[in-house]
Amino acid sequence: MRESFSVAKIKYLFYTMTHPMDGFYEIRHRSRGSVPIAVISVILFSFVFSINKITASFIVNDTNPRSVDSLDNLGGVLLLYLLFCVGNWSITCLLNGEGRLKDIATVLGYSLVPMTISYMVATIVSQAIAQNEEGFYSIIITIGTIWTVLLALSGIMIVHNYSLAKTLLTLILTVISMLIIVFIVMMLTDLVSQVYGFIYSIYMELLFRG
Amino acid sequence: MKNMKLKTSLTTSFWKKIVITALSVCMLTEPAMAKADTIVPYDSYNYDYWDNIVFTPAAYIPENSVSGTTLGVGSFLSPQDLCVSPDGEVYIADTGNNRIVVVDNSLSQTVRVIDSFEHDGQTDTFKSPYGVCVSQNGQIYIADSENQRIVVLEEDDLSFVKIISNPTSDVLDDDFVFTPLKVTVDYADRVYCIARRMFQGIMVFEGEGEFTGFFGTVKVNITPWEKLWRKLSTKEQRSRQLLFIPTEFTGIDIDADGFVYASNFDSNGEQAVRRLNPKGEDVIRKGENANVGGDLVISGTSDYSGVSTIVDVVYRDKGIYSLLDSKRGRIFTYDHEGNLLYIFGGLGTQAGTFTTPVAIEAIGDKIIVLDSNRKEMLVFTETQYGDLINRAVGLRYDGDETIAVDLWKQVLMLDENNELANVGIGKAYLTAGDNVQAMKYLKIGMSRQYYSVAYRRYRNDFLKKYLGVILTVVIGGVILIVFLVKWRKKKKGIYVDDEGGAFDV
Repeated sequence: MRESFSVAKIKYLFYTMTHPMDGFYEIRHRSRGSVPIAVISVILFSFVFSINKITASFIVNDTNPRSVDSLDNLGGVLLLYLLFCVGNWSITCLLNGEGRLKDIATVLGYSLVPMTISYMVATIVSQAIAQNEEGFYSIIITIGTIWTVLLALSGIMIVHNYSLAKTLLTLILTVISMLIIVFIVMMLTDLVSQVYGFIYSIYMELLFRG
Repeated sequence: MKNMKLKTSLTTSFWKKIVITALSVCMLTEPAMAKADTIVPYDSYNYDYWDNIVFTPAAYIPENSVSGTTLGVGSFLSPQDLCVSPDGEVYIADTGNNRIVVVDNSLSQTVRVIDSFEHDGQTDTFKSPYGVCVSQNGQIYIADSENQRIVVLEEDDLSFVKIISNPTSDVLDDDFVFTPLKVTVDYADRVYCIARRMFQGIMVFEGEGEFTGFFGTVKVNITPWEKLWRKLSTKEQRSRQLLFIPTEFTGIDIDADGFVYASNFDSNGEQAVRRLNPKGEDVIRKGENANVGGDLVISGTSDYSGVSTIVDVVYRDKGIYSLLDSKRGRIFTYDHEGNLLYIFGGLGTQAGTFTTPVAIEAIGDKIIVLDSNRKEMLVFTETQYGDLINRAVGLRYDGDETIAVDLWKQVLMLDENNELANVGIGKAYLTAGDNVQAMKYLKIGMSRQYYSVAYRRYRNDFLKKYLGVILTVVIGGVILIVFLVKWRKKKKGIYVDDEGGAFDV
């Protein structure tokens, strides 16, 4: 079970969907998960999300299809994913979490599967509904979202071997740490660009004098 | 199925024929109709479903301008109001010159100049007549603002009828000075008057000029934040804060059924016009953008940005009304459902643009705008595009949507993304029972409501036809799969547990 891709590993993706407790436990302790599969799952989700925004019937879709950029969506989703993984890892490291960065990434990627499926199904269903039937569409998406949230919650709880209360606490701290990371990154970019500007102006000065 | 296809193609060729005939008729009978692609000194645009600006052909183009000099009565001085009488004469309130100028229907001849009237055997004059209106019963109502009265004269011989002044009521302050600005009269000679600093609403006078009450008060909306802020501030601070008072009405017009159209300034830019029923309730309908306030968002901090400043409204015909914006010099035209039909006009110094537009009126297919700073009336004439839309909307107002279709098709030839035209055509197909075509047009027109109707009908027809086949296939498929799975298990003898083969021993 060392290789990243195998039929068993892909099957396991769906096994965790219905058996999160056992599934995520074995991801942590028996290497049943795979980071590449998790990342592919995230990418797939972002594409399905874009497809939903572009092709869902205009009865339920308030987005202008011409304003959707699937690459923008992909970048955003991946960035958020990375940010959450790093944020959660940095907090749980300090709070006796047992999960490795690899486990967090796997858990998050695997728990996105229900949402991906629900967006796909909802997009297809949206083609066959009229006004006053939007409920069917939104209930599919709601079920998928709730399922994903529950999966992620239980996954994080299990890989770190936390109680529910501690998981919720770390999730709040994770959000705060994500904000701090964003703040630091922005500040760093600004500082680097200022240093660059300073060096560039010295270079220009030398160029003009020489 | 084949039959249906044939029917569709038949109907399309039928429509094509109608369009071609209509077009050729148009070309034959209306050679002088202005082209929509004439170069105009302003933008013509509209907002689409997503509130994006879409440029359209010009609905109206500038024809000429009429000033006091061209009429031979001497230059106007700060004119403020326009009114078209039931027999088509145009009354101009030439405020600065203390007179009313009456011009004929074609705006080329001065019929008369009213600068005085006989009253109790004496000659009386006006002082800053700000508004003018001619009633259906042939009487001229002049808002004589600085004299604090409304003067009523007979239209035929200018004989004195009555003066409305000094409104008395418990609801009015003792020191209230009645300064009438705009005035309009309904079929029963009820007088609706916008007075300066009268925030309670439009003043209504009945009978011999008794003040009977206010009409159509604009409600003040205070946000919770403002409420909290007011609670937290001290009495002294509060006295220096802005007062929450309703906005004043700016312009007024009335339709034949006695519904009053009154424009006002709305700081949210959502509703700058009210359609008031005889009880004074607002019964206006808002369209797709839920907005009857002129421009949607124009952001920024320049003088040019912000919400439209609607200064006047004119009720035209068949539920169509136009608003005049003094901020960007635009004229917004809506139909009775609150759909924005077209936008044109602009500020500037070129011919055909405004500097300070103050009043708007319509005569036939022309729109006249009074510019107080330029001291002239600008006349706009409708193009083929504007004419088609006006006629099609008129037909829809009368309930003849099927006849409107060939007009909408012509609109599409000039402006192929016009949502109203697409919806109009789609609705006609819907009535004709061609659900597929209806769905196509209604989707382009972004009409969720009617698209759903068409789609439901289409779905029902489809299910009626194929439900048997679908059910047979589904049930047959399920039986087949169950059978195959069982057969495979039996053959291989492998027990597949419900964990999806997690235990591959």
